[in-house]
Amino acid sequence: MGRPDAATIARTAASLWGTHGVHLAGPADAVDGRSPLVVLEPEDAGTAARMLRWADTEGLTVVPRGAGTKQVWGSASTGADLVLSTGRLSAAIDHCAGDLTATLPAGASLAQVNDALGRQRQWLPLDPAFADRATIGGIVATNDSGPRRQKYGTARDLIIGIEMALVDGRTAKAGGRVVKNVAGYDLSRLLCGSFGTLALITSATFKLAPLPAASRTVVATVGSARRLGELALALVAAPLTPAAVEVDSPPTRLLIRFETTPAAADQQAAAACEACERHQAPTRVLQGDTEADTWRSYEAQLWHTEGTLLKLAVLPSDVGDLVDLVERATASRAIDYRLGGRAALGVLFLKLRGNVERHMEIAADLRRAAAARGGSAVIVSTPVSGAQRIDTWGHIGDGLPLMRAVKARFDPHGTLNPGRGPGGL
Amino acid sequence: MDARFLAELARLVGDDALLRDPADLLTYESDALVHLRATPGAVVLPSTAAEVQAVVRLCHRDGVPFVARGHGTGLSGGALPAPDGVLIGLSRLNRILDIDIPNLRVTVEPGVTNLEITRRVSPAGCYYAPDPSSQIVCSIGGNIAENSGGAHCLKYGFTVHHVLGVEAVLPDGELVHLGGAVLDAPGLDLLGVLVGSEGTLAVVTKATLRLLRRPERVLTLLAGFNSVDEAGEAVSAIIGCGIVPAAVEMMDRLTIEAAEASVHPGFPPANAVLIVELDGPQVEVDELFAVVEAACRRAGATTVEVARDQAARERIWKGRKAAFAAMGRVSPNYYVQDGVVPRTKLPEVLRRIRALEQRSGLRIGNVFHAGDGNLHPLICYDESIPGQAEHAERVASEILTYCIEAGGAITGEHGVGADKKAYMPQMFTASDLDAMQLVRCAFDPTGICNPGKVFPTPRLCGEVPGPYRQHPLERAGLIERF
Repeated sequence: MGRPDAATIARTAASLWGTHGVHLAGPADAVDGRSPLVVLEPEDAGTAARMLRWADTEGLTVVPRGAGTKQVWGSASTGADLVLSTGRLSAAIDHCAGDLTATLPAGASLAQVNDALGRQRQWLPLDPAFADRATIGGIVATNDSGPRRQKYGTARDLIIGIEMALVDGRTAKAGGRVVKNVAGYDLSRLLCGSFGTLALITSATFKLAPLPAASRTVVATVGSARRLGELALALVAAPLTPAAVEVDSPPTRLLIRFETTPAAADQQAAAACEACERHQAPTRVLQGDTEADTWRSYEAQLWHTEGTLLKLAVLPSDVGDLVDLVERATASRAIDYRLGGRAALGVLFLKLRGNVERHMEIAADLRRAAAARGGSAVIVSTPVSGAQRIDTWGHIGDGLPLMRAVKARFDPHGTLNPGRGPGGL
Repeated sequence: MDARFLAELARLVGDDALLRDPADLLTYESDALVHLRATPGAVVLPSTAAEVQAVVRLCHRDGVPFVARGHGTGLSGGALPAPDGVLIGLSRLNRILDIDIPNLRVTVEPGVTNLEITRRVSPAGCYYAPDPSSQIVCSIGGNIAENSGGAHCLKYGFTVHHVLGVEAVLPDGELVHLGGAVLDAPGLDLLGVLVGSEGTLAVVTKATLRLLRRPERVLTLLAGFNSVDEAGEAVSAIIGCGIVPAAVEMMDRLTIEAAEASVHPGFPPANAVLIVELDGPQVEVDELFAVVEAACRRAGATTVEVARDQAARERIWKGRKAAFAAMGRVSPNYYVQDGVVPRTKLPEVLRRIRALEQRSGLRIGNVFHAGDGNLHPLICYDESIPGQAEHAERVASEILTYCIEAGGAITGEHGVGADKKAYMPQMFTASDLDAMQLVRCAFDPTGICNPGKVFPTPRLCGEVPGPYRQHPLERAGLIERF
């Protein structure tokens, strides 16, 4: 059956929902080289659900989209007839400061949200990639987080309620607006990291944190990969509560951040410096603009560069080994790279640059090495396509049939973001 | 229960692990919610995951419902047996399999008790954070089923934040591994939905949990107030100062008196006491604790006692954790309710409870996690007075309505189980419940895993995909298709 033409689809969609939220897709809407026909922009969850049901009935595949910063994360799309944008799902931010919670529309950007919450000295303590533009819906769908995961966790740890639009044309919610709640299944967490393959997230409720009064960052230059692994473990074994312990390489260093009261931040930074020096790692302590600049450039080198992005996960005690393996796997192939990530949690991000032909070899090497240690290596995004690209997710394990069963229940016709999700759901 | 089926069960787990004698079955008729009882067809006590798997497979083959049970401390009838079904008691799966201090991980079987983990890792300066009041006896398997919290979940989260991976037997007998010791295993987060599913999706046979390092400093304060409202103002002031305590607990006069009569924690004679605990690095805790103390005094605290050592702290917590059981000292019977309201709605809801107390003629004690709005009203009654137990139940039910109207939840930690399933439609629409059923049907399409819990109405799972066929029960109008 041939694909219906864009104009016909746009006309039908406009007759159903008006012209305001329907427009023809352009080159900027392309996903993995696929050109969607039409972009739909519902202004509420109910409309989003009706649009989904219509697409499902018409046999049109749907790619959900927030700001599009992580549109290509995950495995390659196998269908992108329509883009369902959360751009107009931007109802007011409902901040209950006294309860330390907020209900946020999927289309709001994290930056917007934190501006608003900051007026009452609170925030949603997430710092994912592209934090300036990333939307709430996209952050939940990718369960992306950043350096502060060390202290605050991921979206999955902070979410307390969700509302979604389903392909059967209905909206549904789970959880609620209270921090403590065990009524019903926790669909909020199920949707974290589901890559838009189960439902369109239309809003989410989170527990918040007070804005820290002070921040200090210790920058420690570490001589070797192994020493880095040991040092990261030593830092979290000490009576310290760092907000972030990031590896940044090359040259190999640790960025250790403390966010607390001014006196405690100074004391903890000093204690961290002592620990670093015991591991022969020279340090300096940053605060204010230099601190902010250091973090900005650290993130820019990972996110605002071309290349293949890998997410590597191992036990914290294997981080030293893994960093060492990265150095060797890239050096032997003369590939330039940038390595960052959560040194004390064992979740690293590797950006491979240069000759893309070698990227998949390195990815395969690191995947074997991570798997041998009970971990994983996921290809988050890559310019490599087609047959040259190795499987995005690697071994998912014996839970995969169950994941497929869940997908089949939520989206029996494979309408939502087909191919994109874990295991190619 | 079919003799052939029983013989097969005995073959799978051994005669000593199959209970059929009515006297033996009695223990398993209920969990800690004792007014809901049912007799299981048989109880099996497997010793290995393979035995659990074999039992579940057999149940699946013959369409026999089964219910997993930890140590039976649940308060919502979540482990209420299916009549004529198999009850799988997991108490013999009680080994700690691996302790990995550098990575702060521990791997345990489901029958290990919550506190046992902390006991074992304590010499290394570590602990397992979720601390439900029943932690001395409750099992990790049960904690996972209920997503248990505890007094310290305000800062440290619930069980779901501390379970990294599980091995579980699905209702068709397949063994799956979800999550793992390494973070971010690729795949849908089925672990996130399995935790808190009240034993309706799978039977967990092994779990890898996250440990925490003991904080450098812990300071606990006990403040007395003339009114619950004043104590509530102190909590608001503390949160308003940007402080997230490790715990904030409140008790009212009746529960203070009960605790005093029972375990003598030395609580002040006040209309409300507040327990506030801060933990973390010494400099931070000392600095913030001064703010907390000042906030309590400003809000009108009549007494402020600071526990500076472990013994003093334990005494205070003993008073708090004994509160439920202590009600037995002041009332022949009591009904424990579990509801949640947004923290800022606490004063309003407590006023409604106070009015209800006067109207109903039943005394109501209040002990609650004030930091997160989780209320535990204790409704006192005397079952020897005809009709009073039912009256207490109605009063408890009305309090839940207040919670829902305040934008809260019908349960914060005890679970829905068999007890509160009828309230689910007050909190969730049919469409919300149907979305949850999608998960249920993916895990347990034949509905044999802890049936009759959580959801208000039993449902059949349609085949996906495939042509529609009417189920005999559907034809008879006894069940609705989902």
